[in-house]
Amino acid sequence: MTGWLEGKAVRVIGSDPALADALAKAGATIVTDDTADCLVHVARAEQTRLAHHLSYDEWRGAIAAGLDSRFEAAKAFNGAKRKAGSGGAILFIGSPEQQAGAEQAAAAGALGNLTKSLAVEWARDGVRVNTVLTNDGGPALGAMAAYLLSDYAAYVTGAVMGIGVDD
Amino acid sequence: MAVPAHHIIAEPPPFEQPPYPGDIFDRRTVLVTGGGSGMGLAMGIAFAQGGASVGVMGRSIERAKEGAAKIAALGVPVHAASCDVRDPDQVATAFDAIEKVLGPVSLLANNAGANFPVLTENMSINAWNAVTRIAIDGTFLCSAEFARRREAAGEGGAIVNNSAQYIWTGFPGDAHSAAAKTAQATMTRKLAQDWAPLGIRVNAVAAGFFPHESSTNGNDPEAIAPLQNMIPAGRTGKTHEFGWLSALLCSPLMDGVTGQVILQDGGESLRRSLMMPDFVPPREREDGPWGWK
Repeated sequence: MTGWLEGKAVRVIGSDPALADALAKAGATIVTDDTADCLVHVARAEQTRLAHHLSYDEWRGAIAAGLDSRFEAAKAFNGAKRKAGSGGAILFIGSPEQQAGAEQAAAAGALGNLTKSLAVEWARDGVRVNTVLTNDGGPALGAMAAYLLSDYAAYVTGAVMGIGVDD
Repeated sequence: MAVPAHHIIAEPPPFEQPPYPGDIFDRRTVLVTGGGSGMGLAMGIAFAQGGASVGVMGRSIERAKEGAAKIAALGVPVHAASCDVRDPDQVATAFDAIEKVLGPVSLLANNAGANFPVLTENMSINAWNAVTRIAIDGTFLCSAEFARRREAAGEGGAIVNNSAQYIWTGFPGDAHSAAAKTAQATMTRKLAQDWAPLGIRVNAVAAGFFPHESSTNGNDPEAIAPLQNMIPAGRTGKTHEFGWLSALLCSPLMDGVTGQVILQDGGESLRRSLMMPDFVPPREREDGPWGWK
């Protein structure tokens, strides 16, 4: 229990009970609407088949989950923060770029540079944007996520990182 | 130009509220290279806020002692040792001296560095060697010394390296530091892999501009005021938030985090627009604003 997120409302999109629990233990209140101070979007790669064995629908579904849905969620979050005149923090969590199929390589690469672009576009809204790409789902991810969402990371934005040596 | 009033600037908690309890590094000793001033001193202070004993290594023993005294004011044991990190014998001797007073070193902050803007065509071999060998050889020598001692003790540890925000872009007019700081970052990833079986974690902070008393323009409010609005975050970094991230990465709160290079620059290195001011070759801006003549 670090208290890093005391007083902050965090919305988690995507199922990751362990992560939500870690954020709550860091003091966050988990909410499900646009009142959140922080947005966490979790989408992990689900398939590792070769590209030429994927149907177009499978490909498109993976890109939609790993990239498009994140763009939409982040845009809505930033819009709400601008309207409220308050800052905030966005954290994207996904799988490592090269450890699944081509669809994940595409989505993760795009997400990384989306992160860097949004970080600058929204810097003066006081909205920070970072990404963690990892297969780790344990306490280390929970701790890093809590840190990145907290005010202690006020000068960390546009960072794309992993957790362990395999990321 | 000042940051417009309607822009929102994210600020860290004040110095008195570190992100970890005051005993998180209890009975641990950290060795900070180049710890007498600037970013290294910020690291030493951050570790001290977590209760670590702090060994301060520096080429200048006077400066190392000055830094150690500031860290000691936080109530932790300190010891200053003279060391040129480019010399393996001096590194071993300094480790011995610090361990004799403070006990086994189980945390290492590689901060020692030198940097000064200079055109490559005017850069002497000595200048190239000074900047690259302090960061590259120094990080290798101190890290390897640390790992040998940790392995002999049968215990793990943690290392944090002070890298820079320009490691992904290069730094025209600062090529020696661009090369050196990138080597630190790539070493970070490899050493983390190699030493994972030893229980040694290795991470780095790719730090942006954190004005301090020994940086190029110091921390004079008048000198750094014009810089605030250049940075997407709307401000330069505060040394205590850099120190905290460095110490945090070595703390048990971040167990499992290793091989990472974390950008902490307020978005400075990410600025880009299709239309930008005319390109001026470094050679033709060395005596202009933010030149170095």
